[in-house]
Amino acid sequence: MMGIIELSEATVLRGRSKVLDKWSISVNSGDIVCLAGENGCGKSTVIETASGLIPLENGSATISEQLVRDSEGRRGRPTFGLCLQDDCVMGDELVGERILDAAGFDFDVEGLLKTWGLDHRIHDRIAMLSGGQRRKVALLSGLIPAMISQTPVAVLLDEPDSGLDDDSIKKLADTLRNLAAGGHAILVSSHDSRIIEVSHRVIRFPYEEEEFTQDDGKFTPIKKGNPRKSSVGHRLNLRTLSGLANNGIAGLLTLGAMLALLDPSQLEGRILNAFILAPALTAGLCGNPIHRLSLENRAYAWWSTKSAIPQNAIIHSLILCGGLTLLASAITSELNLELILAGAILGAATEAVVGLLSNATLRLARPNAVMIRLLTPILILPWALVVDTLTA
Amino acid sequence: MRALDMNIKGEVVAMLGFAGAAVTLWLGMMWAPSVSISAFKAPEAQRIFYWHVPSAWAAMIAFGLLFVGSIYWFFKRSDWAWRLHVASSEAGLATGLMCVWSGCIWGAAEWGVPWDWTDVRLNTFAILTLLSLYLVMGRRSQPDGVETRDTFAAFGMFGFALVPLTYIATRLWQIRHPGPVVATSEGSLNSDMSIVLFLGAISFTTLTVGYVMAGMRLTKLEMRLEELQGQYEERMR
Repeated sequence: MMGIIELSEATVLRGRSKVLDKWSISVNSGDIVCLAGENGCGKSTVIETASGLIPLENGSATISEQLVRDSEGRRGRPTFGLCLQDDCVMGDELVGERILDAAGFDFDVEGLLKTWGLDHRIHDRIAMLSGGQRRKVALLSGLIPAMISQTPVAVLLDEPDSGLDDDSIKKLADTLRNLAAGGHAILVSSHDSRIIEVSHRVIRFPYEEEEFTQDDGKFTPIKKGNPRKSSVGHRLNLRTLSGLANNGIAGLLTLGAMLALLDPSQLEGRILNAFILAPALTAGLCGNPIHRLSLENRAYAWWSTKSAIPQNAIIHSLILCGGLTLLASAITSELNLELILAGAILGAATEAVVGLLSNATLRLARPNAVMIRLLTPILILPWALVVDTLTA
Repeated sequence: MRALDMNIKGEVVAMLGFAGAAVTLWLGMMWAPSVSISAFKAPEAQRIFYWHVPSAWAAMIAFGLLFVGSIYWFFKRSDWAWRLHVASSEAGLATGLMCVWSGCIWGAAEWGVPWDWTDVRLNTFAILTLLSLYLVMGRRSQPDGVETRDTFAAFGMFGFALVPLTYIATRLWQIRHPGPVVATSEGSLNSDMSIVLFLGAISFTTLTVGYVMAGMRLTKLEMRLEELQGQYEERMR
């Protein structure tokens, strides 16, 4: 029978070394498996490989018998809880909202936060929290899918105790024991003796395995409500006005610069259409505004285990680029619905492509150091062709 | 001594190519016949064609090698393929810049503008050159490792889609860039012009191949140096 968490024959390269070589592990329902060992021994690699964040050279990772990732590049996204060593939270998310998004269902989030001493922070932005409080939010985001589920769910926790006070570590150990009693499978990496003590199996790297019998905990799932429709990107964009502050301002500046040099009443044909559509192109070239936010604390990695589509605010982009085109049209007294629609679509599509290009560099050690903008001139050609087509 | 000869093979080939390129340039500027003054606005500027076309040809070869290196790294994880990727992206950047720069000079003289954003051939070729610049600069900004190699190899593979598009661009959408003049039914090239162009193609190909060979050797030495540094640090612990 397959375990809830299964890593089979996994070979993983990181940097210039082979961290895992045909390595396998299986965590069954009701088991807590703890990975222990000194820093750099490969604990985080196991957790990140099992959650599908690291490509495999060989083997596969499955959770609840559904594929997470294999060496052929296939990926799936089954439900599981994940807390990585980086907190993976965006500073502009609200505490309560983040836990609800991680659960995917409505539930009494205030009650849960009260247990962990965070209820007074429920409406606060995560950026306002202390390091320990932020760690608790990251931890609860990893635990909540199992806490609300009556069927076994996998939970992957990478050094969840780091930065927590003694009481919280004790609470974490009790929670893990209770989740195991509910049939959930837990794979945790830790140096802390209190986490090691509640584990059914301890694997010490390079390799030494010990098994323990544990007292049973008591699991009572948190009552969940309706599934939650998560539009995190749009919500964050409204809260931070990141799209307006970056893309919108760039579009307005382009319009302003053109107005400083050109007399709109004298423009006609191709030049007129180029004038009207240029602000939308510039706004789009600034890229996905949510991508920037998701680079904080490596939040993009956590969200990538939930959805194949990166967090975005594409509807807002359509409105913003449409608005910029409308403004440019109004200035030239050339209100043309076709042009406004073209501006909205062109701007949003440009933004999406720049976002995808940026996303493709996230595996790099220094994603901010590569000059992805060097590739953006490819987006001027379609814009220029649209200008030509609309002029004809 | 024999080992040394083997090691500088790439440099020797590159020097031969460089000499050939210099002769091509001289012949193109001084010996090749002028084009018809009625067909061109700036007939003398057309001589840059002996530089522009061979460099475009060499760039396409470099981009092809880049694709081979990228795809082979991606599926076989071979150090040799990565070295090919590194060297051919640098060769693609050098030859691509030569082609774009010479094209801009000719465009300014013949069309009155150095660039046209609506011309598919111009833009796809420029993007390929920018892709090479992105690969060269991006790689230098990252520590070497499988993540770096995978990411840039993926860009090298997908970027190659622009090569056939660039090739057929003037056949499908002839907006500003002239259509093909070699190996076509129109056969508009004078035989002396063909000789210089052919010499240019051979020379630039030789230069590119030599550069790639030397670049691969240099990357191998860099990798070896990094390995030795790692071993030294290990021993010092």
